[in-house]
Amino acid sequence: METLNHDIIIVGAGIAGLRAAIAAAEVSNKIDVAVLSKVYPIRSHSVCAQGGTAATLREGDSYDLHAWDTVKGSDFLADQDVVEFFVKQAPREVITLEHWGCPWSRTDDGKINQRPFGGHSFPRACFAADMTGLTEMHTLYGRAIVQENITFYNEWFVTSLIVEDNIAKGLTAIELRTGEMQALRAKAIIMATGGYARIYLFTTFSHTATGDGMTIAYRAGVPLKDMEFVQFHPTGLVPPGVLITGGARGEGGYLINAEGERFMKRYAPDRMELAPRDIVARAETTEIQEGRGLEGPYGPYIGLDLRHLGEEKINERLPLIRDVAIKLGGVDPVDELIPIKPAAHYSMGGIHANIRTETLASGLYAAGECSCLSAHGANRLGTNSTTDCLVFGSVAGEEAAKHALSSSLRNFSHEIILAEERRIFDGILGSEGDEKVPLIRDEMRRVMGEKVWIYRRGDELESALKEIRQLKRRFKDIRIEDRGRVFNTELVEALQLDFTLDLAEITVTCALDRTESRGAHSRLDHPKREDENWLKHILAYYTKEGPRLEYIPVAITKWPPTMRAY
Amino acid sequence: MVFEKEKSVEFRIHRFNPERNKSYLSTYRVPVRTGMTILDALNYIKDNLDGTLTFRHQCRMGQCGSCGVMVNGKPMLACYTQVLHLGVDILEVEPLSNLPVIKDLVVDVDPFLNKYVEIKPLLIKTDEELKKPTEFIQTPSDFKKYWGTSICTKCSLCYSSCPAAIDIEFLGPSGLATNYRFIVDTRDDGLSERLKDASETIWLCTSCDSCTLNCPKEIDCSTIVVDERSLIVEDGALVPRTTKDVLTNAFKYHNPLGMSPRKRTEWSKGLEIKELPTTGKTDVLYFVGCLPSYDARNQEIAMSIAQIFRKMNVDFAILGNEEWCCGDHLLRLGEKGLFEILAEHNASLFKKYDFNKIVTISPHCYHTFKNDKPYTDIGLNVQHYTQFISEAINNGKLRPVKAIKKKVTYHDPCFLGKRSGIYDEPRDILKSIPGLELVEMGRSKENSFCCGGGAGRIWTEEATPENRPCVNRTKEALELGVEVIVTACPFCVTALEDAVKVLDAEDKLVVKDIAELVKEAI
Repeated sequence: METLNHDIIIVGAGIAGLRAAIAAAEVSNKIDVAVLSKVYPIRSHSVCAQGGTAATLREGDSYDLHAWDTVKGSDFLADQDVVEFFVKQAPREVITLEHWGCPWSRTDDGKINQRPFGGHSFPRACFAADMTGLTEMHTLYGRAIVQENITFYNEWFVTSLIVEDNIAKGLTAIELRTGEMQALRAKAIIMATGGYARIYLFTTFSHTATGDGMTIAYRAGVPLKDMEFVQFHPTGLVPPGVLITGGARGEGGYLINAEGERFMKRYAPDRMELAPRDIVARAETTEIQEGRGLEGPYGPYIGLDLRHLGEEKINERLPLIRDVAIKLGGVDPVDELIPIKPAAHYSMGGIHANIRTETLASGLYAAGECSCLSAHGANRLGTNSTTDCLVFGSVAGEEAAKHALSSSLRNFSHEIILAEERRIFDGILGSEGDEKVPLIRDEMRRVMGEKVWIYRRGDELESALKEIRQLKRRFKDIRIEDRGRVFNTELVEALQLDFTLDLAEITVTCALDRTESRGAHSRLDHPKREDENWLKHILAYYTKEGPRLEYIPVAITKWPPTMRAY
Repeated sequence: MVFEKEKSVEFRIHRFNPERNKSYLSTYRVPVRTGMTILDALNYIKDNLDGTLTFRHQCRMGQCGSCGVMVNGKPMLACYTQVLHLGVDILEVEPLSNLPVIKDLVVDVDPFLNKYVEIKPLLIKTDEELKKPTEFIQTPSDFKKYWGTSICTKCSLCYSSCPAAIDIEFLGPSGLATNYRFIVDTRDDGLSERLKDASETIWLCTSCDSCTLNCPKEIDCSTIVVDERSLIVEDGALVPRTTKDVLTNAFKYHNPLGMSPRKRTEWSKGLEIKELPTTGKTDVLYFVGCLPSYDARNQEIAMSIAQIFRKMNVDFAILGNEEWCCGDHLLRLGEKGLFEILAEHNASLFKKYDFNKIVTISPHCYHTFKNDKPYTDIGLNVQHYTQFISEAINNGKLRPVKAIKKKVTYHDPCFLGKRSGIYDEPRDILKSIPGLELVEMGRSKENSFCCGGGAGRIWTEEATPENRPCVNRTKEALELGVEVIVTACPFCVTALEDAVKVLDAEDKLVVKDIAELVKEAI
């Protein structure tokens, strides 16, 4: 098999991946950029983003305020140098997208409109009705496909990174249409593969958002960071888990318990429903646990009340979630409460990278949700992720391009490719056990949902770790029915399960290690935040026996940690 | 996942194994409960019954456009349709049409997505303007002009149901709509470039409305194509010669065929049909239309209906040489000005003369009288002749007694069926004719496949046979083993007969209009 060579390879074609591709290609038209994605770019999970993109654009707002909101929202685990950079770059990205054609919703005088959002002290969420992700993605896609020096490899499933002597040299991927293993070489590689909340059952995530890039980097020796911090979005639609945007609360929606009470006044009396996500998710969970959840055929839930907004406003600002609530939830928000409860939604953790998106391997970069810089620390504010993907997607593209212009392609031995083929086609596709992938997958999700959810406890985490390890052993005994090579989605499911089992193991290990509560990570047996011991990030390195943990400090520039209340 | 069983539904899935190059059918029984979407069912099958079933899926909420499939002949997003909402116990699931199948329900979407590279889906601005540090100003009302179209997810359901898309050159409904979205975006400066891109293949659209009917984001591609055409027609230079001829004919002679207005009633010579300009008053105004007036084959239909009216003692009259083209095809071609001239003329006659209802031969005349201004300003009582005859049969005023022993199928004309919702009356008529055996085509009712005649294409058709919708449709009928394709539209008759000739199948298949069968049977 031939090895395909490119200057830059980007894995993942969501907002971060596409933005990086464009940024790299614009540095010079001599640079050749390849984008590999296991789905067609416009199918990426980024299209599901709804609420908005935060940026400081107007009088009355300031970079410092946006940064402070983000740092406080992160429960002081965010690296403040990263945050300060991030908020300053955000406006440029919003305007750039607009110039390419992004249909931002407008104020009466024709400027980009912005709405309030949880955790932000100023209405700075730029939005396109409630389909911000969809419109950003199609704008970026439209820009990328007319760029001559970007090549798309669609439905190519990346299986491993080739890192030798701490240099990222290339990767292996299965071309799904033929089922052939392909090897690619590059001078710089950007990982932009998104999050991994699919380790849970009740999640807002698309089916293929399984965090492949994180595991691939981890197995190549690059550490992951802050993996215990999984964000639970307060408003996942019952029963499917799909996202009902926080913009619904930004536009004035209420959260109601079985007693008809706007219970957030007992948890965040100032911000109410617009408190940060971790606080609202915990509040909802407590309400349900203490018996004040509404009863339904899918179990207890909380009501999201939009009735007082009126049909016109809902149709103008929240058309998607109205349609989704009707088609998938069976309720019309104009006259009924939307049944919601917390859903696994975002991974604050990811591939450890710095403010220039550089990882610890030379020539390897990470941007977007799969990375952890950390811009979001222990809890991300809504509308900051799409901004993160745009800002650091740009940075990654520019950095990778600079690196590519001053480096060369490296060789690696053919034996690496053959070994990878054996691992996958003999070891996984050809495995002659009797375990079924869907069963192991569902078991993993059950364990994570019961023991590694919003409220965690040491003994449950220990038990979860044992069960995940047991599942990893069982995975070695699977049997895949589909033995064909062409477009084998059963093999893809197995490979994704392989990746997510590692991520589950890492998440539980780090959750067990962090004996405090901070941001989205709540320990019932360690309910307080303990800055003295825990104002640091946990790094997880791959070893055969399981993740090896190290610690690095949090970068504090302007804002020493204070009490976090809303 | 464990479900409570509410109903057991049978899934018959049309599969394809690429490694053996084999098409085959797999049947599964799935326990379905409320809330379960088709995608949930497919996942159930893959997880529990057959791991080899292959399909695409991603977001589960209608945003990514991955999961398009055909269910009982209709393209839809698997994730956005609840199984129980379909109200049937057996679901036939196939991959989307018009795109090559890779495996099972997975199709090759590259031919579709490549269209977007052709149309430049980003704002066309000068480099100078792109340097502007603040946003381009755009008011909320300007925003509304294109917002609805900008949420297209490129799911390809429209392309899959499009009869013109059997020609790979066609930009497709979504391609054309996305092009228009930028034309209408007040920030865009690329009008002439974009019109040029569109004008190459935009004329292949027949306004059948399938795209609009199937779009999960409710984008009215069909109307957008007409609006886009009207910009091209206004510009003038990019209109192809064949289309120009049609427009010029209609302007000069008040019919798109370019025939003399004085010969419009030649078909009725010898039948002594009353003419409304002479009598001033009648019960039924029989609006004949251009094709049945001038085209030899369709004149037979005009005569058949007149004879049926006679048999029923209907008090009817025609407008005679004062009748002008109803204007529908010209409207769909984007010539709004010409349409208005024709429509104003006919509308003034409708206001002038005294009658109770209009009965049309052509579904196109019917559709425009019922839906487009200035006709709608008058509030006309209009029926398609199949409604009129069906009523008459129900009331006993018309009795089909002579048997016609033929195996037939019915082709739903787009402007009668999916655009006007008239599916039952033609079928009721056929069922009332003794001896007739009616077999439905796979693509029937709102999934009927266009004959390719609408929006003027009947006169401008230049495609090779394999790219003509009528040939595609006729092949479908031939596979059914029927002797007759029956339809209720003069354009369908013309197009399908042409296809029968092209396929050299004149000894196997005959094309008839419902009126002709009724006349034989009474």
